[in-house]
Amino acid sequence: MMIELKNIEKYYANKGVKSYILRHVTTSIKQGEFVSIMGPSGAGKSTLLNILGMLEEPTYGEYHFMGEDITAMNERKRIELYRNHIGFVFQAYHLIDEMTVAENIEAPLLYKKIPGAERKSRIADVLDRFNMVAKKDLFPNQLSGGQQQLVGIARALVAQPSIILADEPTGNLQSAQAEQIMDLFKKLNKEENITILQVTHSEKNALYGNRMLTIEDGVVKEDVQIK
Amino acid sequence: MFKLNLKIALRNLFKNKVYTAINIGGLAIGLTAFVLLLLFVNHEANYDKWNPELDKVYQIRERHDFFTPDNKQNWQEVNESRIGALLQQKIPQFKYITKVDNSWGDGFALKVDHSDPIIVSNVNDADSLFFKVFPYHFIYGDRMTALSRPNAIVIKQSIAHRLFGTDKVLGKQIRVMMWRSDKGSLMTVTGVVAEPETAQSHEFNAIIHSGDREKDPEHVDNSNYCKIYALAHEVLDTLAMNKILQQVYVDFKKASFVKRKINYNDFYKNGKTPGLKAVQLKMVHSSPSYGSNWLTQIKPIIALCIFLLLISIINFVNLATAQSVQRAKEVGVKKVLGAYKKQLVLQFMFEAAIQSIIALFMATILVEMFLPTFNHHFGLELSFWYNKQLSAMVWQLLGLLLLITLLSGFYPAMVLSRYNPVSVLKGNYETGFRGIALRNGLVVLQFVIAVTFIIGIGIMYQQTNYLRHKDLGYDKSRLMNIRSNYEESFVQRIKRIPGVKYVATTTQVMGNTFNVPEEIIYDHQEFNVNTVTVTMETLPALGVRVLKGRMFSPAYKQDTVNTVILNQAAANLLGKNVVGKMYDVRDSKKKHTFQIVGIIKDYHNEGFDKAVLPTVYKVTRLGGTSSTNNLLVRFEHDKNETAVKAIEAEWKKSYPDFPIKYAFAEESFEKEMQSTNRLMQMVLLFSAISVVLSLLGLFALSAFMAKRRTKEIAIRKILGASDLQIVNMLNRSFLILVLIANLISWPIAYIFTNNWLAGFAYRINVPIWPFVIATIISVGIALLTVSLQTRKAAVNNPVDALKYE
Repeated sequence: MMIELKNIEKYYANKGVKSYILRHVTTSIKQGEFVSIMGPSGAGKSTLLNILGMLEEPTYGEYHFMGEDITAMNERKRIELYRNHIGFVFQAYHLIDEMTVAENIEAPLLYKKIPGAERKSRIADVLDRFNMVAKKDLFPNQLSGGQQQLVGIARALVAQPSIILADEPTGNLQSAQAEQIMDLFKKLNKEENITILQVTHSEKNALYGNRMLTIEDGVVKEDVQIK
Repeated sequence: MFKLNLKIALRNLFKNKVYTAINIGGLAIGLTAFVLLLLFVNHEANYDKWNPELDKVYQIRERHDFFTPDNKQNWQEVNESRIGALLQQKIPQFKYITKVDNSWGDGFALKVDHSDPIIVSNVNDADSLFFKVFPYHFIYGDRMTALSRPNAIVIKQSIAHRLFGTDKVLGKQIRVMMWRSDKGSLMTVTGVVAEPETAQSHEFNAIIHSGDREKDPEHVDNSNYCKIYALAHEVLDTLAMNKILQQVYVDFKKASFVKRKINYNDFYKNGKTPGLKAVQLKMVHSSPSYGSNWLTQIKPIIALCIFLLLISIINFVNLATAQSVQRAKEVGVKKVLGAYKKQLVLQFMFEAAIQSIIALFMATILVEMFLPTFNHHFGLELSFWYNKQLSAMVWQLLGLLLLITLLSGFYPAMVLSRYNPVSVLKGNYETGFRGIALRNGLVVLQFVIAVTFIIGIGIMYQQTNYLRHKDLGYDKSRLMNIRSNYEESFVQRIKRIPGVKYVATTTQVMGNTFNVPEEIIYDHQEFNVNTVTVTMETLPALGVRVLKGRMFSPAYKQDTVNTVILNQAAANLLGKNVVGKMYDVRDSKKKHTFQIVGIIKDYHNEGFDKAVLPTVYKVTRLGGTSSTNNLLVRFEHDKNETAVKAIEAEWKKSYPDFPIKYAFAEESFEKEMQSTNRLMQMVLLFSAISVVLSLLGLFALSAFMAKRRTKEIAIRKILGASDLQIVNMLNRSFLILVLIANLISWPIAYIFTNNWLAGFAYRINVPIWPFVIATIISVGIALLTVSLQTRKAAVNNPVDALKYE
């Protein structure tokens, strides 16, 4: 089992009043699944994704990642873990403006302390796969939104993660570009068996995956397999 | 990783060119001042450290009141010459003891063959042991035997070049004239020594050995004064040694008083005490006999340098934290990609280091550019690249670099690396916008410094203006002072030159004052006064004013017998109606009686930091006279070039072997004012720079603020705010900061300037207007600077700002 959540809760206490974001979330995700998290605005989708990505801590509950208890870990250990296993893709791409395409893709490898020669070959490989060799020396603001998101995904993939967490990856894109991105996700899931977790508003995008988790008011309302 | 960080840093610096320039430029200026200071401090702190042997060399200091500027006892570098022999006898810890003359006057005339004589300063007569105590490096000649025979001269290499054009001068002869009518003695060069690596407290250009320094005066009542240095067998416990010296000295004094029939207890009364001590040579420069040492003197300048550096560092911190919004996303993404906080802190520290390095590089260029001016201004000979302590300097600079990087980079790095990736990546920068309180605090601190400087200038300007226009009590125009004593035949000859009004001598004139203390008994009471020996024409020549009674005149026979004139300070000391009254002076055996015939207005003969001493002027030889090299010439007209030429010609006729040396009273006055003027110029320069730097910082900061509030401004405009209202809104926060800074700096400036003024015997009261003007200037310029930015933000079309979001 890749991910196991037990009774995850998240709330903010303000003047003694608790406002809940997540309540009693219990679920598990297997290696190779492509899960879409759906739900209305403010339902807690992004918070759940952040907790899964270890960017936020749950107020209460247990989170096991590949058999290890995350809630009991110190920060250093946690960074080590997600550095090696998790790739993030954001709605607003979040490329670093001062770095070129190639440098953006290289960044996670630097933190993993991968030797220079291997870094080069991996970057070249990824650029090739995404048909962006010609654009490797451009800066993010010289690319279109779709291209920027491709770089974002390339950056997530280059570290060879076992799971990709995507927060509305197509939210800022036009539909043609969005389809391209979703096809890419599907391909990665099918061919390379990468686990993918995406938060989305769009039913259409959700159908690319093989499982749909619907959240409303912080509670898991539905959990259906898609054939 | 390093390479990537370097790239990002450079791209960021390049992207924000203006702020980078302000940061680096400001830091470079701050560093330049600091490096210059460092050069000076290194120079001063390394006096007498050119040879490890010097650790065992001690200067002997005697406590006495002869030759003191304030007529009080003092630990003096010149001692009675008999102490040399005394130490030789009684202190076995000393291996060699050498006696050497202090440098009096302007120097001796040195003449080679038939060429024109030149005046060389710091030519000292020493006994044969001088170079056994001081291990100077002899380029030519033998250190141990150079002074073993009389009429030997050892010269510095630079002097050899000046006199002969070469340093291969061993065995050549130099005629040395010690005063203007000295026939001179022929001396043989027995050594040429190299200039040591560090400065020396006993500075010489040549050491001569006439043989006179070996002897002490024969008669017990006579004494002769010189410097005494001792080389010990090993480094001594100075405290223990000084106890022994004190005991030896007291016994010596008692024995000598018995011979001179003086009562020991009578001599040492009214706070006078005997004293002899040894000062380790390397401590000599930092513990001068009079006044404060160099470190105390440059304390205000050290403070100025530190403040300047502080201002540039504050700019750095403020701009970096304000800019942090721009970098927030980078931090968030990097954290998500797996960067540790430590790595990010290091990255931002590294960026600060890059800027500091560039600034330091620019500072070295600036130092090279300004060093000649700096040297000229302060009469120094400092160099940077040719500095003999360059390697030590490099370490100091690296340390400074590290310190600046830490100071300027640490806080911004902490702020930046603390960003929470989740909130930043959601696009919520506002919560991530930290450090406003600190930044405001720093802006206030910056302006406190700048405003204090401006007030300082105002008050210093007032004070110097006051001094410049203060009535000196004598007329400093058309007054020439020749460095010569009074010789009747020469005086008669120059008196005949057309345009010369008076020729006279005195022991008390600005530029060369020699105070002789005396105890007088008036109305059965004892008073301490200063005595000055003058000639008939001295007081008219100086142009002093008579308040009561009369001046000296040949018409009164009595004036060459026993009359005196007091200055007002002395008259006030003695009481009312003193003109016509008598007072007594008790000499060792006899009693002399003097009559007071006049009172003159006090006139200034030293810096304004010293009050005019109660002084008695006399022409008579009764009770002893003294003389120094002052020959005053008062001209009739302002155009006196021909008269000066004639005097020079007359001098050359009389004293062909000794070049004339003179100064005009106005020059001497400028010299006295110099230290005050220097400080004033320094403060002026530093405050101008600090104000500009503070404003640049404020300019950049307000630009960031305006940018950050673009959306707020747009919304306010859509809601109906006018451009002016927006500008006012944005200005208000800065205005409050500058006003707070003014409130804080007022008392600080008051305390500082009051302290500075307290160092003057004649001073103004702290005026109010510099405070008001400083406030108006600081508020005005700050408003103008900020408005430039805010106006830009205010007149923008709000639609653009909102569309962008």
